[in-house]
Amino acid sequence: MTTPRAYEAALTALLEGSGRASAEVTIVGTASVGTQRTTLFIEVADRAGPLRAVAQISLNIIPAAPASHQASLLGLAAEAGVPVPHVLAVTDALPGIDRPALMTTHVDGLTIPRQVLRSHTDHNTGDRLAAACGEALGRLHGIDPGTLPPDLDRLAACDPYLDYCDRLTLSLDELPTAHPAIRLGINWLQRNPPRPAAEQTLVHGDFRTGNIIVEHGRLAAVIDWELAHVGDPMEDPAYLCMRTWRFGNDSRHCGGFGSLRALREAYESRGGFWRDDAFHWWMTARTAWWAIGLAQQAAAFSIGETDSIVHAASGRRVPELEYDLLKLISDNKPAMKG
Amino acid sequence: MHDDPRPAALLEAMARTLTDEVVPSTDEAARHAARVVANLCRILAREFEQAPTAGDRGAMEALLDLRGGRADLATLLDERLRESEVAFDERALPVLLADVERRLAISRPSYLAEPS
Repeated sequence: MTTPRAYEAALTALLEGSGRASAEVTIVGTASVGTQRTTLFIEVADRAGPLRAVAQISLNIIPAAPASHQASLLGLAAEAGVPVPHVLAVTDALPGIDRPALMTTHVDGLTIPRQVLRSHTDHNTGDRLAAACGEALGRLHGIDPGTLPPDLDRLAACDPYLDYCDRLTLSLDELPTAHPAIRLGINWLQRNPPRPAAEQTLVHGDFRTGNIIVEHGRLAAVIDWELAHVGDPMEDPAYLCMRTWRFGNDSRHCGGFGSLRALREAYESRGGFWRDDAFHWWMTARTAWWAIGLAQQAAAFSIGETDSIVHAASGRRVPELEYDLLKLISDNKPAMKG
Repeated sequence: MHDDPRPAALLEAMARTLTDEVVPSTDEAARHAARVVANLCRILAREFEQAPTAGDRGAMEALLDLRGGRADLATLLDERLRESEVAFDERALPVLLADVERRLAISRPSYLAEPS
């Protein structure tokens, strides 16, 4: 396990390499030791005075976009009017630790899902936040694909749905235990692709409660761009509405805080084109993806790749996602015939 | 055989201690870990109390037309689904849903009660 001292030294070295030679990094808190990344609250002291910042160090259990790509995307998103933190430094291999790291300005607000949902017990404020998410996604999907990093991960333009199913199958086949419920889900996905999007766009890929910063009910920032790629824009709103990201607040379909209608109307008001069949397909596909993701985390624990209790516990969460997956297929059963 | 209390009762007590005593007096990161451990204790307590029965595998055995343990049946069903037709998948769906519901009744029973 990396010590706080080692992180401080590595992050200071990173800032030196980014042109802040006299800056000193101090860890002031741990935001989360998550399943995908460690997030540290830090203070950067240099001649200009102390600056509150955040450092994210990837664990890369699930393949992710290089940190340098994330930094470019944050710049493009900011230009497009999507609220994001400002990038201070970035590396795909943190000195001495050899993990990707991204250092950004600190944005005040809530990220922990239970706190975000508690702050939106009122329907109106929850719908306002859902609308802000819809607007942010509309703007994000409006970014000119020609400006994106050319080697950013992208789904095959000729058949993105089959490509995604192939990726799911590959990950499923690598698991040490059989998951026939997920296999059945992938079969359904292969047989029922939606009509394609008019154009592939930038997709955030992890836009959900927990990865947005909410300040006084307002969307203050969209964070965690590790899964960004080029694909079908409907993947993002579908993912945000998955049951697992409602954190028990099931009646509020959008992230556990707002209505689907508020999300959709705002998305369309910012140029987004809503497709119901793609929404359902992606919700099903990303549910299968997260079922596999949780099983991967459990496997990483079982083979000794991680000693995180959160990873270990993930194995007992797989049935939740399998349940959602089978329910999504059952709800759309006529389409099972293709 | 083991001494009193039963494993499930001990696990329940461990969960309660974490939730009632440890969680209120720790910082946010440790609190999250304590909640995760408490939840795992409760899951294990239910696993001790609700051991799977042979009857639980009946539908999967009938679907595959053979007998075996749950893990073996799952592996065989997974193999079968790699090359399956729609008709087989339609028969497999309720069988798999029942299997998932049984596991969910142990890992997170409240998930079954909540609307989907």
